[in-house]
Amino acid sequence: MVRFKHRYLLCELVSEDARCRLSLDDRVLGGLVRDTIARVHGTFGAAACSVGFAVRYLNAYTGVVLLRCRKDFYQLVWSALPFITYLENKGHRYPCFFNTLHVGGTIRTCQKFLIQYNRRQLLILLQNCTDEGEREAIRKSVSRSCLLEKESAEELSDSAGEEAVEIVE
Amino acid sequence: MPATAYERLVYKSPSEYHYMKVCLEFQEHGVGLNTAQFKQLLVSALKDLFGEVGAALPVDILTYEEKTLSAILRVCSSGLAKLWSSLTLFGTYKNKKCAFRVIQVSPFLLALSGNSREQVLG
Repeated sequence: MVRFKHRYLLCELVSEDARCRLSLDDRVLGGLVRDTIARVHGTFGAAACSVGFAVRYLNAYTGVVLLRCRKDFYQLVWSALPFITYLENKGHRYPCFFNTLHVGGTIRTCQKFLIQYNRRQLLILLQNCTDEGEREAIRKSVSRSCLLEKESAEELSDSAGEEAVEIVE
Repeated sequence: MPATAYERLVYKSPSEYHYMKVCLEFQEHGVGLNTAQFKQLLVSALKDLFGEVGAALPVDILTYEEKTLSAILRVCSSGLAKLWSSLTLFGTYKNKKCAFRVIQVSPFLLALSGNSREQVLG
């Protein structure tokens, strides 16, 4: 069937400064990525990538970003992400970098990956944390996520099959 | 009997490089460029259209004549489309209008030595 296919890049914004993630704005981020693509891939890259480009999801607390781009040019976008070295907001420059976690064809696959990734991150945090109060809070979150995992697994086995519903913009 | 190791080379195209004979024309006369400035011009043309990645494309100037502003360039076969398109879209150098005329393109350098278009018969 003829339709526009997209690629969704799930990235994580890693920065030493905690204020950097809180000052994330989807328009600021979109402009930053577009400028970087224009710098790295020139006018051709800027034009090719900006057609289907959008910031679909942004989490200011964890720094997770979901970018959408056309399938034909997703490699241009992907290769331009390591060239982002700082985030500028209200005159402040925060050094940061983008970690690409997953490339998916639909938002649903990226969401599935993100859920698994967050679970693994919780366990890693549990190992590394030092404060007892924090440890208790993380243990509670881990047990809650395990319960949710069991519930969703039962739901999947009940339903006949997952229909591939693509979110059409 | 032990299997002997052998190497098989597969060439999909006849040559790895493409050679272009180009000539730079300015709208006004009397503009001179030395080899380094010509190379800088090529790199800035690639950078405009294809960014930092394009500017890093390895292009070699094999010969350059300052009087006629013509040169023979060598580029990797995969980068030929990028180089040719950036030469086509290159319009101004230091606020002076200019244009690249591509005279000949060939995967073999020997073909650039004789141009049948410029041949004079009789």
